[in-house]
Amino acid sequence: MRAARVWTLALACLSACGPPAPKAPALALTGRVVDDADLLLPAQEATLTRALAALEREKGPQFVIATTRSLQGRRIEEYSIDLTRAWGIGSAQRNDGVVLLVASNERKVRIEVGTGLKKRLPDEFCAEVIREKLLPAFQKGDFPGGIQRGAGTLIEQIRRTPAASLGLWPQRPRMAA
Amino acid sequence: MKIRFAATLLLAALLAGCGINSVPTAEENAKGKWANVQADYQRRADLIPNLVETVKGFAKQESTVLTQVTEARAKATQTVLSPDDLNDPAKVKAFQDAQGAVSAALVSVRNITEAYPELKSNDNFLALQSQLEGTENRINVSIKDYNEAVQSYNTIIRTFPDMIGAKIIHGAKPMVPFQSQPGSDKAPAVKFG
Repeated sequence: MRAARVWTLALACLSACGPPAPKAPALALTGRVVDDADLLLPAQEATLTRALAALEREKGPQFVIATTRSLQGRRIEEYSIDLTRAWGIGSAQRNDGVVLLVASNERKVRIEVGTGLKKRLPDEFCAEVIREKLLPAFQKGDFPGGIQRGAGTLIEQIRRTPAASLGLWPQRPRMAA
Repeated sequence: MKIRFAATLLLAALLAGCGINSVPTAEENAKGKWANVQADYQRRADLIPNLVETVKGFAKQESTVLTQVTEARAKATQTVLSPDDLNDPAKVKAFQDAQGAVSAALVSVRNITEAYPELKSNDNFLALQSQLEGTENRINVSIKDYNEAVQSYNTIIRTFPDMIGAKIIHGAKPMVPFQSQPGSDKAPAVKFG
């Protein structure tokens, strides 16, 4: 009787283990370009996807472009970090993910950069890309043009770094091209 | 013999489930997250002297606001919170208040710059402002991570079975989460149109 009670206790200890289930992301990660707000042209989406796949293959960092209609009442800073973490963009060891997020209803934009790329894409550089490449086009309603120029500048800047200083080493790609 | 073996096995299983390892692991995790919070606040403190110099170059007459931010920064730098004091609500509050004063002073600086178009288009100022905004965002993220780690540590030391080890062996005390700062959710975001 007593032994049975102890065993129940031990079982209760064991059953208390196990990590909590992770929260589902606000958008589904359907590819390197997640155009949920429908701001891009299909051909452009394909070109960007190819450029982003080549960037990861040759330099390591994983870069995803996302557009959403609504931030669901949240601040874009919170929405974007939660999305980036839920998607697991970039290598976990190098923390070198980049997400360019455009919210069409709220008219907000953000570039989320993993800490491993902070030297190559510092705050002031990203702010300049937003100020000079994205906003002028967005203000004219030209989303495809703005995203193209902004993403292009970011890709160029990442590519400028030699792979060695990005900490690139051979590893299994996390996402198929 | 068989009974003794079973008893040993059971004891080991019980001990492993009683917080011998999980309590210090959760504590170290929370302290690690705390180090990130501290590093982000340090980065903000490092940016302030440069900001003050830059603003001074365009808006000398705003010396009151600039003195305020310099003083708040000095006080915050002196208010050190060691990882071992994270379970002391008074010390955590003192740290938060000192950093909150810096946040408030930075908002005043941001407000006065509105009146100086030349300053607002100065490259150095634009760079500093984006670094400060980025740093404040990172502070918010690391506080959220720290609070989550604290919550999981506090849950572990208060719930069965880990609380047994927490109480008897580790003498664990709950850690204090950060309160969200008034206005911390109002950091300016880039808006188009």
